[in-house]
Amino acid sequence: MNAELQLIDAQTAVQVRGLNVVYETTQGDIPAVQNVNLDIRKGQITGIIGESGSGKSTLVMAMMNAVAKPGRVASGSIEVSGVGDMMKLSTEQQRRARSTELGLVFQAAQNSLNPLRRIGHQVLDLGRSHGVKDLRALLRKAKDLLERLGLDADRVLTAYQHELSGGMRQRVGIMFALVLDAKVVILDEATTALDMLSQASVLQIVRELHEERGLTTILITHDMGVVGDLADRVVVMYAGCIVEEGVTQEVLTSPKHPYTRGLIRAIPRISGDIDKAVPLSGSPPDMNTYKQPGCLFADRCPLAAPECQQSRPPLLEVETGRHVACFRVNDHA
Amino acid sequence: MTMLEVKNLKRTFTTKDNMFGRREVKAVRDVSFTIPDGGVISFIGESGCGKTTIGRIVAGLETPTDGTVLLDGIDIHRANPKERRELMRQIQLIQQDPYQALNPAHTIEEALAQPLRLMAKRKAGVSNAWIQDRMAEVLSLVGLDPAAILYKYPHMLSGGQRQRVVIARALTVEPKVLVADEAVSMIDVSLRLGVLHLLRNLREKLNISVLFITHDVAASRYLGRDGKVFVIYKGMIVEEGATDTVINGPTHPYTQALLSAVPVLKGLEVPGSQRFYVEKELSQDGLSEEGCLFASRCPFATAECRRQLPPLAGDSHKSACLYPYERQVTARMLD
Repeated sequence: MNAELQLIDAQTAVQVRGLNVVYETTQGDIPAVQNVNLDIRKGQITGIIGESGSGKSTLVMAMMNAVAKPGRVASGSIEVSGVGDMMKLSTEQQRRARSTELGLVFQAAQNSLNPLRRIGHQVLDLGRSHGVKDLRALLRKAKDLLERLGLDADRVLTAYQHELSGGMRQRVGIMFALVLDAKVVILDEATTALDMLSQASVLQIVRELHEERGLTTILITHDMGVVGDLADRVVVMYAGCIVEEGVTQEVLTSPKHPYTRGLIRAIPRISGDIDKAVPLSGSPPDMNTYKQPGCLFADRCPLAAPECQQSRPPLLEVETGRHVACFRVNDHA
Repeated sequence: MTMLEVKNLKRTFTTKDNMFGRREVKAVRDVSFTIPDGGVISFIGESGCGKTTIGRIVAGLETPTDGTVLLDGIDIHRANPKERRELMRQIQLIQQDPYQALNPAHTIEEALAQPLRLMAKRKAGVSNAWIQDRMAEVLSLVGLDPAAILYKYPHMLSGGQRQRVVIARALTVEPKVLVADEAVSMIDVSLRLGVLHLLRNLREKLNISVLFITHDVAASRYLGRDGKVFVIYKGMIVEEGATDTVINGPTHPYTQALLSAVPVLKGLEVPGSQRFYVEKELSQDGLSEEGCLFASRCPFATAECRRQLPPLAGDSHKSACLYPYERQVTARMLD
């Protein structure tokens, strides 16, 4: 296993190579994630942005090797720093890696908590299933974390999930992801169901915890604002492929893929000239989009050339630390 | 000219009897506003602030406890049933979820034909061909190709397309007012602006008044830049004024908190210098009826704030705060 560990450098927390995930249907396999190569850098906040159906959630579920049926990881490797290739570990080793190395905060925290058990009991359940010896210490840790998250820890630990508000449940979800000292925290649309004010305060907490604990944070969202505010690096997904990846600031100020450019332009802002916001044309990818051989964005792309219809552009490094999958990356309008 | 006038609207919900007795929730407390002919206003607020209830009362789906809703000078809640039917036609509600607003077992053609058949009955002497023409007309108005869409079922359409069909259906009855309740929040980001753009065009082309209910400040700025914004908190208007005035110079701490909460795009914008976060969440329980309703969450509240409820005061830019003070919380675009 040590030999495998040396494959990924010290800067990388999770290394994804040649990942393909398909969903099996009666009409054949539908690709959900296609040929994804991605390095999640240690100590940074990486934002993964895409529309519904772009494969962003499937990608992180694959990172934990926890894709639910009818989904299936068709090929690829996921090297997690300090653990090894998630695809090659035994089921038991994978189970241990989740929570202790990789912590996941689900989109709807209310669906990830057991409605029949008090939060404190669920913390103990988690401890037992991961073989924690000192359960008292675990509870103390949970309590500290909850207080750090701005909650009344005693009340929360003795409460059932229905007694908590959406924002509180989301914070409890963050506590569960961190209580076993996970080094990589994945937030899957963790603020989408929240109100603006709770969203802002949960994001602020994520930012603070990230720095205090030296975490590696992965943020999945469809909201460019959340990524733009919080993430160090951004990964843009479209129809299961990564189309652009780079430092947030650079991607926002000079997007190189036509989809990224269109997406940024399509967000109305609260300052500046509101009429600069232009809707993105065309319709989102469907079943037929995946079947075409060319670039998946070609039929919505203002720059599409004949070659774009014929073959799919690979994700190439165009500048240091900046990857774009587009044939016409150099001649944009 | 005023299209819709709402005066002193109140709505109180009573919970069922339980061991604690009954409890009253004041969803709307004394709200007044007007929408000019062909004009637009937006309601901004958190979920649970009562903005949807106001929209439902305006659309006639809910009866107010007190107050009046005047459409062209006629009170829609006190009109006789025949008049009321006609008034209800003129106000159409577009709801948040386009997935539930359409009958999954009906094609788009059936969804649009039903209201049109009723319209045809009212307009004596029109033929079936009129229904077909009108269907094509409303669909092209919302930017859909009639030939490609009429035979389809809702599940065959994207969220954006469905919402366009819902808007088209509202347009079949030639309404004067559209109430758009979070009409774009369930639609994919890349398609959201398209639907907002459509609503903006309809206003300009057909002179329809729009009441836009949203939690997205930027969306209200896009759709209602020449209109007014009303910030709602616990069923009360806490700040109102011209859209850009309120967004650029909010004076109520609640509006400031909302604007502070808008994420800032790194490299494109800089956050407002006085941006702040509100830790506590909105709750309906333990409400003291005295004092400012926002006082328990307000970082600037004083003892006086807990004693008296500040009235909505001011000329064109009104604010319900004892100490209205402009803070720089809105992000600025970098050049």
